[in-house]
Amino acid sequence: MKENKKKQVLLVGNPNVGKSTVFNALCNKKQKTGNYAGVTVASHSGHYSFKNEEVEVVDLPGSYSIYPSSEDEAIFSKFLIDEQKNYAGVIYILEALSLKRGLLLFQQIQDLGIPMILVVNQIDQAERRGINIDIKKFSESVGIKIIQTNAKEQIGIDEIKEAVLNNKFVKAEKISFETPNEHKDFIQKVASHKGMDNEYKAWMSLSLGTDLGRIESIVGLMNEPDSKSLVPKRLQVQETVRRYQHVDKILSDVISKKPQFKELLTEKLDKVLVHKFWGYVVFLMILLIIFQSVFFLAEYPMNWIDDLFSWTAAFTSEHLPEGPINSLISNGIVPGIGGIVVFAPQIGILLYFLYLLEDSGYMARVVFLMDRLLRPFGLNGKSIVPLVSGTACAIPAVISTRNIENLKERLLTILVTPFMTCSARLPVYSIIIGLIISDGTFLGIKYKALVLMGMYLLGFAVALFSAAVLKRFIKNKGKTYLVMDLPTYKKPLFGYDLKMVLGKVWDFITGAGKIIFIVSIIIWFLSYFGPKQKQDQFVATNVELDHSYLAKMGKGIEPIIEPLGYDWKMGVGILTSFVAREVFVGTMSTLYSLEDDAPEVKVIDKMRRDVKPNGEKVFSFATGISVLLFYAFAMQCVSTLAVVYRETKSWKWTGLQVVMMTGLAYFVSMIAYQILK
Amino acid sequence: MPNKIIEMGLLPETSFRILYQAPFSGPMYVEFGDEKSRIALREEEGDFIIVEELN
Repeated sequence: MKENKKKQVLLVGNPNVGKSTVFNALCNKKQKTGNYAGVTVASHSGHYSFKNEEVEVVDLPGSYSIYPSSEDEAIFSKFLIDEQKNYAGVIYILEALSLKRGLLLFQQIQDLGIPMILVVNQIDQAERRGINIDIKKFSESVGIKIIQTNAKEQIGIDEIKEAVLNNKFVKAEKISFETPNEHKDFIQKVASHKGMDNEYKAWMSLSLGTDLGRIESIVGLMNEPDSKSLVPKRLQVQETVRRYQHVDKILSDVISKKPQFKELLTEKLDKVLVHKFWGYVVFLMILLIIFQSVFFLAEYPMNWIDDLFSWTAAFTSEHLPEGPINSLISNGIVPGIGGIVVFAPQIGILLYFLYLLEDSGYMARVVFLMDRLLRPFGLNGKSIVPLVSGTACAIPAVISTRNIENLKERLLTILVTPFMTCSARLPVYSIIIGLIISDGTFLGIKYKALVLMGMYLLGFAVALFSAAVLKRFIKNKGKTYLVMDLPTYKKPLFGYDLKMVLGKVWDFITGAGKIIFIVSIIIWFLSYFGPKQKQDQFVATNVELDHSYLAKMGKGIEPIIEPLGYDWKMGVGILTSFVAREVFVGTMSTLYSLEDDAPEVKVIDKMRRDVKPNGEKVFSFATGISVLLFYAFAMQCVSTLAVVYRETKSWKWTGLQVVMMTGLAYFVSMIAYQILK
Repeated sequence: MPNKIIEMGLLPETSFRILYQAPFSGPMYVEFGDEKSRIALREEEGDFIIVEELN
């Protein structure tokens, strides 16, 4: 299939062992993230070339065991087992500070006969702790040469590349797991019956209890009397305990400790960061700092971008020949795209902070702090990660629910995460708040900032409230629990994260840009042409906006949106927003530029001046609040819906989400408008 | 009992300390073993663990 055959390698290890640092160090120059062919999910993959060899690195989700307990671990195990034919081998990353835990999964993979390269990362950290690792002995007892790295400093990265180039992937000579005696006969029978080349594969299929990929189904054999005593979960526990005994034996010869024990940064930080009181204060402060930066740091680049687009619109309007093309470009496309690009700085800053928080290991502490508080709503502490990252975008947020083990908690989290104020709502909020809220301050904080903050809190409150309601209607499947690693804090990869953020922002601009480009053109066409005004015309061209097809369509839906306080232009904005919310601003920009031929005037000022036939402001306070509430609640994002469907594999829940959110939006906006008008 | 507790390395015969607990009987912050691993556990999961006091 592929034209030039690339060597594919997998990057595997426990979560939080610095896998992404190694990935980043390996694929420094060329990297891309995206959907991975053959798997239903996004795995990271990157490329590098070393001495004329092209290598593709697949960064799989971290896991503790081959036996999955959550969706992301299932993705890992399935890929590892199913794709064996396609990859050259596994680069297994161990963190020097937690060798023991890492060796469990390492040995499982080794026993499956998968060739591996072993990397021990962050040895300097262990040394600082007074832990000495005898790499030579270690290497002998696991039967693989060990590469030591400090990925952050690029140390050892070339050695990994060299090892990949020379195919230094090693298969274990013998299986380290000894089948317990009481099951030995039966396991051997299964292995020979299924033609498996080793006993562990047979053991594993029994322990899995279900059919996972190419580990052959054992259903037929399960009826034998010997198999009655086999409970998959118990076998897994038995295996884990046995392996750890073996690992302990290996490590006791390899690790030596000096008596003094230096307190690490993690211990010092956690005294405050998980404190019963200060922990929450710090979390709130961090959130405040993030939102403050999103609005105040972003202000300057936003003004530059706005000026640039206003200037461009004026320039094209002046210099292009008069006529429809001129009006299409300077009234349609330029303001439409400008209306969205202007929000790139805010989105970028928000994303950057969230990446840094995740990277540093802090998010696990937030899970720890929030678990008890989220449980009454039917959510898990782990739900806080999707909820917080939902403030950037619901799509990655919904995907990040995969590490929630309990299916009910995961489903609830997916259903309510889109209520969180995502960055696509930000453009809409900013423009409406700018229109209806005055410039005053309260205790030194601008009213506008307070209202915006209020919108964020509202989103969060509604997410929790709807979870509390929905949990009554969802059957519980399996037990809920929280067993979660609290990783050592790591200095975030500032440069790497910045690169990722810039990539995401670029995707946002181009993605939204494409939609807005098309929508702008359609809107322009519909507004440039209108129903014929004279007998001999086919259509009327260059009509007044009020006589255009667009106005006709907008006015057609007016009865539905009138109780909410919207005029036909907002109606068009809301309709186009069902592709993506931010399109509202682009649509408004286009519409108002068409109506009022003064490209140098900012769109927001045109909107402010707009009045209804009876002299009332179009964007009155009541209408503005109604629009804010509608955008807060309505499910208006096709991409999110697609992801929700992919993650839940259910039209029922996806449909319920649309109806619930949009219904709530309509209802609440209508009530607000009717009370306030 | 979730297998995950054992997979994380909190095995029989392991010494551990509870360093912190989140308010309202929230999760416990447990440090255990020679490598001073840290995990968060709810009280319900903690109930599965038989504990013996050391010094």
